Amino acid sequence: MGSLLLSKKRETGFKPSTIIISIIVFVLGLMMIVPFLFMISAALKPNALIFSEPLKFIPDQIYWNNFKTIFHHEYFFKWYGNSIYIVVLTVIARFVVVTMAAYAFARLNFPFKEAIFFLFISTMMIPADTTVIARYMLYKSLHLYNTEWALIIPATFDVFFIFLLRQFFSGLPKEISEAAVVDGCSQFKIYYRIILPLAVPALVTMLLFTFIWTWNDFVNPFIFISSIDKQVVTVGLEYFQQQAGTDYGLQMAGACIIVIIPIILFAFSQKYFVEGIASSGVKG
Amino acid sequence: MMRSGEAKAGVLFILPFLAGFLIFNLFPLLYSFFISLVDYNTLKPSYNFIGLDNFIRIFNDDIALKAYWNSFLYTLIYVPVLLVLSFLLAVLLNRKFFLRPVSRTMILIPYVANVIAIAMVFSVILDPYDGPVNAFLHLIGIQNPPMWLGGTSTALPTIALVNVWQSLSFQTIVFLAALQGVPSELYEAAGLDGAGKWRKTLNVTIPLVSPTTFFLAITSIISSFQNYASVRALTNGGPGVASRVISLNIYEEAFTYNRYSYAAAQAILLFVVILAITIIQWRGQKKWVHYS
Repeated sequence: MGSLLLSKKRETGFKPSTIIISIIVFVLGLMMIVPFLFMISAALKPNALIFSEPLKFIPDQIYWNNFKTIFHHEYFFKWYGNSIYIVVLTVIARFVVVTMAAYAFARLNFPFKEAIFFLFISTMMIPADTTVIARYMLYKSLHLYNTEWALIIPATFDVFFIFLLRQFFSGLPKEISEAAVVDGCSQFKIYYRIILPLAVPALVTMLLFTFIWTWNDFVNPFIFISSIDKQVVTVGLEYFQQQAGTDYGLQMAGACIIVIIPIILFAFSQKYFVEGIASSGVKG
Repeated sequence: MMRSGEAKAGVLFILPFLAGFLIFNLFPLLYSFFISLVDYNTLKPSYNFIGLDNFIRIFNDDIALKAYWNSFLYTLIYVPVLLVLSFLLAVLLNRKFFLRPVSRTMILIPYVANVIAIAMVFSVILDPYDGPVNAFLHLIGIQNPPMWLGGTSTALPTIALVNVWQSLSFQTIVFLAALQGVPSELYEAAGLDGAGKWRKTLNVTIPLVSPTTFFLAITSIISSFQNYASVRALTNGGPGVASRVISLNIYEEAFTYNRYSYAAAQAILLFVVILAITIIQWRGQKKWVHYS
């Protein structure tokens, strides 16, 4: 997968068709980000100008008031903090629980291994919408409802990542753990000292996907969190949109502040995204 | 051979996940079936067994039936458009081109953007009267540009296209990985037989990536039925019920009207529909999927 999108193809020689393709790809790329350019442009304009000169992307004068309004919003940065807190705890919990289970599936033999793995995989096809009502009732009776734990604890047990990491762990040579067993290492030590350090690329992929998916999740916080001060950025942004009413400049400024984090993260870690999706593009 | 120490370690390693899985994944699934068979259709919990009444009720509910139909139409637009565009884009990206890092970043960015932010931007961009898209269409002389999200017949396709835009990069990467796995000898052999570019694509590339196409078709159909967040944010099912999909209907029935059992029945029927479509595809794959 190394060459995927990341490096140039081996083809040598200079062809005019390469230039044409480069232009086409670049223009397609621009078309993909037009909505973001519009978002930034509208955020930096007073509301009246968004619709009066809709095709003018660069305003004559940059207007910062939309962002100033957000800095004084009572909840906006509270939502931001909540999101970061939930993302960090989800990443940690998932890391511990999922890597351990994936290690067992990839490198240990234990009773009912195949049956349990099959059970895990077969639930991947079940739509989240099918179980949302039951989950709602479960979280209420466990007193998780309207706490950050309703988002963190269930998200820990994500079968997709077991699948992803098992694949990666299985690919590591068997001999390294056999040698360690001969040296008297415990399985926990092998997992912790040998396998995890070798699996860093897969772990980074898991971390990034967990970050992006948790940050962008709407349905779970919308259903399982009821207090506005406990909300996260996605649901908060919708609330903010309603508050802003027809002030589209303000709306767009809010949207900018929320998409900027995943985009920056993504820009610096594309390699892991691309490889993660390519090696097991399962979740859509 | 199973060493007892290893087996013990295996069980200990798997235990935390297994426990959480049983509580938070498996139990809700079984409990959903239970809820769908009782009469918990008010705010007050009630667990009287009423058999399949909730399911029968769906077939007399025009809005629910319309919602299933809308979801089906949505899938019918979203999945083929997504697969065709991502395949073409992957073929294009598989060639040599300049400015690779910049172009690549731009193409991949929509995948990481927030669903609500996307909905907010597209609502403004596609505003039928003042939005830049229709302003541009007016400019080039189109008198009656589409109403986009505001039109009865255009709302659903517009939502589908917005979601195609967002998912495109994901599917493209998967296709690209498949394209790079096609051995170049096959192209050379086809070239010796006198096949041109189009012939090669048709006779070599498409059959060889068909397992990927099949995989993407299955997963994107499953995900296309779960579009609550984007539909809610873009149109909330409107205008009227023109874009009311089943996912939206389920959440409204459950969390707006508190008809939990009825909503659970709709959700299980949705699962059955998805399962049936997947099984049909699985059976049909012999005809077009080539495993080497």
